[in-house]
Amino acid sequence: MSLIQTENLTKIYGAGEAAVTALDHVNIAVNEGEFVAVMGPSGCGKSTLLHLIGGLDRPNEGNVRIEGVALAEMDDDALTKLRRQKIGFVFQFFNLIPVLTAVENAALPVTLDGVKPSEAKKRAAEWLTRFGLGDRLAARPDQLSGGQQQRVAVARALVSEPALILADEPTGNLDTRSGDEIASLLRDVTKKYGRTVVMVTHDPRIAAYADRIIFLKDGKVVDETNLERKGAADQIASKMKEIGD
Amino acid sequence: MSVRHAILGLLAQKPRHGYELRAAFEAVVGGEEAWEVKPAQIYTTLERLEEAGLVTCVSDLGEGAEPARRIYALAEPGRQALSEWLAEGVTPTHQRDEFFVKLIVALASGESDPAHLIQTQRGRLYQELHDLTTRREACNPQTEMAQILLLDKAIMHLEADLRWLDIAEQRLEEVRRQPLPEPELRRRGRPPKGDKGSTYPPPVPVNS
Repeated sequence: MSLIQTENLTKIYGAGEAAVTALDHVNIAVNEGEFVAVMGPSGCGKSTLLHLIGGLDRPNEGNVRIEGVALAEMDDDALTKLRRQKIGFVFQFFNLIPVLTAVENAALPVTLDGVKPSEAKKRAAEWLTRFGLGDRLAARPDQLSGGQQQRVAVARALVSEPALILADEPTGNLDTRSGDEIASLLRDVTKKYGRTVVMVTHDPRIAAYADRIIFLKDGKVVDETNLERKGAADQIASKMKEIGD
Repeated sequence: MSVRHAILGLLAQKPRHGYELRAAFEAVVGGEEAWEVKPAQIYTTLERLEEAGLVTCVSDLGEGAEPARRIYALAEPGRQALSEWLAEGVTPTHQRDEFFVKLIVALASGESDPAHLIQTQRGRLYQELHDLTTRREACNPQTEMAQILLLDKAIMHLEADLRWLDIAEQRLEEVRRQPLPEPELRRRGRPPKGDKGSTYPPPVPVNS
């Protein structure tokens, strides 16, 4: 079973003449352990898709299923619970709290969720160590590089042990080298640690780390390229041709 | 660019025999798949370089059961040629782009949908980008920085190609609306009597 499934997912902003269709009947499926990049020109609906999958926003039509459960049938409380337990978010800006150390920042969300602080810090330290920050646990954000801060942010997203990580332009605020490091780290999150990652990016270099790229344009899926299967790109292209003809 | 200058450079490092030269060349350019050079090409190049006096050759009699091998070394004129080559800048080659030709042919002939061509090509480029990224990831920065540098160059070029595809996609309609480049017509065959003029400048084509 797919971890994520969208069914005719549609989101319209505004009404009447000014209405903008951000997503137009989008059907995608993401498998467990997959690393998927979502690409497309600005305004194509990339971030909207991510927000709807993460239950941060509700669609006008259609549905998102996480592990088969329809988000549309959940009330706000249930949605919040699902978000906290199953989904971790990573954004372009790291949003670390300046007065807290790396380990305190990473531990914060689960501490707020009622996990004992000692246990939360233990888990946070484990993730930070896996991400090569074992000797920087007590550093404050201003003592860390951009790339290191983003690693703390990824660790923070993982401390609640979610199945799914949603990343919105996670390398948008980083130089090329740190960007590559974060993309490679997100790949590890899927390949070494068995999580699923859906990442929105406009950067081809970063998208190349994924298993599969979904291309959106004007709110619709226009193409998918499976990078892990050799020759898959050509297969998809010829299939698209069949459909088109 | 020539294999010959690379050979001169490799011989400047130390004298080598043909087989060793080929292996060293492949290591420098980043593997067989990056730039395949057949053994025959190495040997013909070496022969020419020897004829031109740029390299010298001695026979190594081989120890024990080993067969004799020809060992090549850099001669003074070779060193001169190498240093001239190194001193020159390199003109980049951006022309002869097969995909561009395909796109224009598709636009002109209507035999294929240019938007599909762009999508297919984008898939190809992403596959390539993914493969190169995976290879670069496998390189050790402590020992293989030269390989990483070469892969980074290829990756950056692919990124530029992908950006160009986006631009091409956006401008497809505009290109479609404009007349495609047409050659100016030239009269063929023997000029009619009394016409002694050359075909230059070519006559203005009559609009049909």
